[in-house]
Amino acid sequence: MIRCKPLLGTFVEISIDDGTQIAIENAFSVIESIQELMGFHNPQSELSQINCHSHTKAIQIHPWTAQLIKIAKEVHIASNGLFNCGIGHRLVVAGLLPRHINLSNHDLGGIEDIHFLAPDLIQSFRPVCLDLGGIAKGFAVDMAVRILISEGVTAGIVNAGGDLRVFGNQPRTIQIRNPALPEQLIEIGSLVNGAIATSSLYFAKRDQQKSYLINPLAKSPTEAHTEVTGSFSVLAKECVYADALTKVLALSNKENHPCFDQFSAQAIRIPA
Amino acid sequence: MNWKPNHYAMLGLAIMSAPIIVQAKIYVSAEQAQKILLPNKSLTKNPIIITDELQEKMRSASSIRHPFKGERIWKSVDGSWLVIDEVIGKHEMVTYAVALSPNGNILGIEILEYVESYGYEVAEPEWRKQFVGKTANDPIKLNQDIQNIGGATLSCKHITDGVKRITVLFDLALKNANPKTLSSK
Repeated sequence: MIRCKPLLGTFVEISIDDGTQIAIENAFSVIESIQELMGFHNPQSELSQINCHSHTKAIQIHPWTAQLIKIAKEVHIASNGLFNCGIGHRLVVAGLLPRHINLSNHDLGGIEDIHFLAPDLIQSFRPVCLDLGGIAKGFAVDMAVRILISEGVTAGIVNAGGDLRVFGNQPRTIQIRNPALPEQLIEIGSLVNGAIATSSLYFAKRDQQKSYLINPLAKSPTEAHTEVTGSFSVLAKECVYADALTKVLALSNKENHPCFDQFSAQAIRIPA
Repeated sequence: MNWKPNHYAMLGLAIMSAPIIVQAKIYVSAEQAQKILLPNKSLTKNPIIITDELQEKMRSASSIRHPFKGERIWKSVDGSWLVIDEVIGKHEMVTYAVALSPNGNILGIEILEYVESYGYEVAEPEWRKQFVGKTANDPIKLNQDIQNIGGATLSCKHITDGVKRITVLFDLALKNANPKTLSSK
């Protein structure tokens, strides 16, 4: 059984080898909930509340948002700042994300400014414009897989527009789009119980969009939009780490960046 | 996690020897989409004639130029609607279903088919026709071999635009064809 819904700004495919329609339905629902909590486009989302108010008051957040922020902070530290969700303003200025907050404040912070007052209560030292676009898809894939397993599904695949996780004992062939000709696929290997995520700019280039790959360490907006060629994939046990680490791979261009070992991840670069 | 890389692919040989072309993925049929989005509701086909004026309003609200066809519209006894539409981008054609409550709230969206091409074909009705109404069980080899495609995130913006034109369709045509809703207000 394979189904597909437009969610998280992309096409989310869920395929299961056994189990019921209800299992798939519940897995899609959890992704919808994550979209409602963590979407940048929705001015009512929890993420938008964090961006508006977290520097002036403590914000109560959902356990999933808390979990994702913890992971984002963990990858931020492990990557020496190369992964940072506090780049939303760059995408807003470039017209790639909607403007909900006043960005005139020049002292915008990053994920490092978010601190926990309690397990579900956060505050920020400085104003922030977080965008979870570089990590939430992976997180949503993991949550959907968790739901499917809890519903008794033994094997399946969740693919959020190119970031995917497979579960069950069966090896799955994984194809990656060829960055030089994205309509062609390259069979890069087979995966059991794991995730793979990819960052690349071929669709952005095709659609004449500005690069959405932002270097958080850049000082100026022109420097921040990073142009890369080729495709940058990361394999990890969980999709949330695979997703976040593709940014570290694309920005560092190092397959042996030390933070991959820390998360038992493996990097794959495909030249264009 | 257990990963077995394909070493030939990593050397670039697989690209040259046998490229796999992304072509078509078929998820659910129109009937299945009806059952998924409006479960346990009996639906009656209710085609709508799309006047030029309505077509123009749907176009300007959604920026989709490809005309809407009013044939695949169903209505349930409680006043809910199911509309099947397709959006045609430069590189893809996506068929999707939208379920609307009697008040026009979106109850759900389901993708039926996703067909990708980087050629001129996607704009050709003849080429598109070969995929319409196919199911995953059809002899045409569709998505059996291309299951797990990784890569840069594919945008679903066209679907968002498509759903916009369906809500315009509801406001201008379906709502008035639903006297029960009006009288119950």
